Amino acid sequence: MTNARILVVDDEPQIRRVMSTTLVARGYMVSTARSGEEALDKVREERFDLVLLDMNMPGIGGMEACRIIRSQSDIPIVILSIRNAEKEKVEALDAGADDYVTKPFSMPELLARIRAALRRAPLASSGTPDVLDLGQTVINFVARRVTVNGTEIRLTPKEFDLLRYLASNPDEVIPHVKLLQAVWGPDYGGEVEYLRVFINQLRKKIEPDPSHPAHLLTEPWVGYRFSPSKKGSGTV
Amino acid sequence: MTKSTLPQSVKVARILGALGIVGGITFFYFRIFSVNNVTVALSFLLAVLTIATRWGLIAGLVASVASMLCLDFFFIPPVGSITIADPQNWVALSVFVVTAVIVSHLSASAKKQALESTQRQNEMERLYTLSRNLLLLEVHGPLAQEITNSIAQVFELPGLAFYDRTSDRIHRAGPHDIPVDAGKLRDTALQGTVFHDATTKTTVIPISLGGQPMGSLGIQGSQVSETALHAIANLTAITLERAHAQDVATRAEAARQSEELKSTMLDALAHEFKTPLTPIKAAVTSMLSDSDLSPTHQELLRIVDEETDRLNSMLTDAIQMSRIEAGQLQLHRSPQPLRRIVQAQLEKLGENLEGRTVTVEVPESLPPVSVDPEFIGIVIWQLVTNALRYTPPGSPLTLRASAEETEVIVSIEDCGPGISEKEQRRVFEKFYRGKDQRDRIPGTGMGLTIAREIVRAHHGRIWVESEPGKGAKFSFSVPRPPREFLL
Repeated sequence: MTNARILVVDDEPQIRRVMSTTLVARGYMVSTARSGEEALDKVREERFDLVLLDMNMPGIGGMEACRIIRSQSDIPIVILSIRNAEKEKVEALDAGADDYVTKPFSMPELLARIRAALRRAPLASSGTPDVLDLGQTVINFVARRVTVNGTEIRLTPKEFDLLRYLASNPDEVIPHVKLLQAVWGPDYGGEVEYLRVFINQLRKKIEPDPSHPAHLLTEPWVGYRFSPSKKGSGTV
Repeated sequence: MTKSTLPQSVKVARILGALGIVGGITFFYFRIFSVNNVTVALSFLLAVLTIATRWGLIAGLVASVASMLCLDFFFIPPVGSITIADPQNWVALSVFVVTAVIVSHLSASAKKQALESTQRQNEMERLYTLSRNLLLLEVHGPLAQEITNSIAQVFELPGLAFYDRTSDRIHRAGPHDIPVDAGKLRDTALQGTVFHDATTKTTVIPISLGGQPMGSLGIQGSQVSETALHAIANLTAITLERAHAQDVATRAEAARQSEELKSTMLDALAHEFKTPLTPIKAAVTSMLSDSDLSPTHQELLRIVDEETDRLNSMLTDAIQMSRIEAGQLQLHRSPQPLRRIVQAQLEKLGENLEGRTVTVEVPESLPPVSVDPEFIGIVIWQLVTNALRYTPPGSPLTLRASAEETEVIVSIEDCGPGISEKEQRRVFEKFYRGKDQRDRIPGTGMGLTIAREIVRAHHGRIWVESEPGKGAKFSFSVPRPPREFLL
């Protein structure tokens, strides 16, 4: 995908330079911001397709900026950070990031991650219904809309793709790797913590009782399973 | 404290007083108001009783003898003469004397007891005040002098000397210097026996805790009982010990903080260095992905790329080391299939394998282990990287895992030059580098230490087996959890 608009947020000028040069050469339209605050202003003023967000910046910092952007928009966010501890990755994903890349990174790898974040999973096989009614929760796969008790709730593109992939294979245990590759892309497979965080966020949004999920079920060791049963929803 | 002796004048005054009272009674009954002899005798008895109670034995005895004489001379017939011929008079005298003795004795002992209990109460109050003062003392100040001042002040002592054995110094307090020399104080501290000098009224008492001599206290004056003295010595010992314990704790805390600061600085520094590495890596990999490059340029850029990676891995080592040393190795354990951890690490190593064939023998049936996948990943990565570093490109590597009864063992076997027996013992030491490799092969000497610390945190073992010339085999184990933990 070219001419997608990318916002590069980093307090290091050299990183902004190398990113602009490379991304522009690849056909992306690039805008840069020096701080979290500036990034928030730019996101409000212009429309972007992706934000590359540095974690460690003076001021509000990447984590907080990510949280604020996510509260206002579903735009894909890729975090860039020097820290590679699992704790920080999970924290960033919890804050709403779609992906987490450790610095220093190789450019081909980052480009692959950018493509994965921009990619919308293709519509599932013809066997999937357009609308799935789970009782309280209704998922419209065509319009990419989810309503819970009649109110529309917002899902990020990756959250939606994950839900759609699981829902189009009901009652089937989907292994971690398969799920990651279907939603993020073929370069993924080891990022089991991504699934953990995203499934948790989905549960909070669509499950009547997120701590006792009825639809998004964990299959220990293996993966996840979607159960379309309306049990407990009161409208059986 | 013993009862202080009364001045001579008071004694004389009391005797004269006793005689005066007896005279007064005699005058009253003889001249003014005549009654029968029994009443007179009873009045004398009452007077002897009162005098013995109030003024003590001597005055009581004087009063009883005088009473007997007066009774005999003025009242008992034949009036006007002292005849003790009559047995009745002997009885009267005996009654007076015995009464005086018994009553004065009783009263004196009651008085003494009352005085003693007041003194004990007084001492208890002072000991309580002292213990409170000592507890509130700031242990980092001039503690020994403060203790001395506090004791002297609370017990209102004229002179006090405290010998502190730790500093071998003598601290004095009170208005007078007590006549005890340093030698006596030191000897008492070491011998552990109380020394008392009656002529100078000084007492020296040892201070010790748990049989360990800590010093001695010299006190002048006899106003403090021996029990209280021992209590003071114990309080002093406890205060010194408390200060000592706090001192040790403070020092340990300071050492820990300095270690933590070092680790924090190392961590910050390593992260600082990674910042400029990021645009270098991004730029060089970006250029390398350009297909128009000449072979020369491609080779040169590849060198930049590889060296960037090396610098990065050294910084990663430093960061891991600092995390481990700062005691931040917090494991998040969960049951993990080792196969996946191994696979992920080998994928990460990718091109660094330099054409080596890595045989992975991790059976599917291997039971899961309860580990932190991130850190066990680091151990595998470090061991494989170590093998890659010291073996020629193209030589094979074998990564094996097997389940024993109580543990799961992972080993990485190479076909490199091997490690001599002497060096085998040292390879896990921090910054240790093989003698022959020190100058030839780059490395930080931290990798194996990091691996060892992580394995230890998992309660596992790490070791190396090698025969020089035939390769080396590094192994580590992690305990197998009981079955029920995994279900």
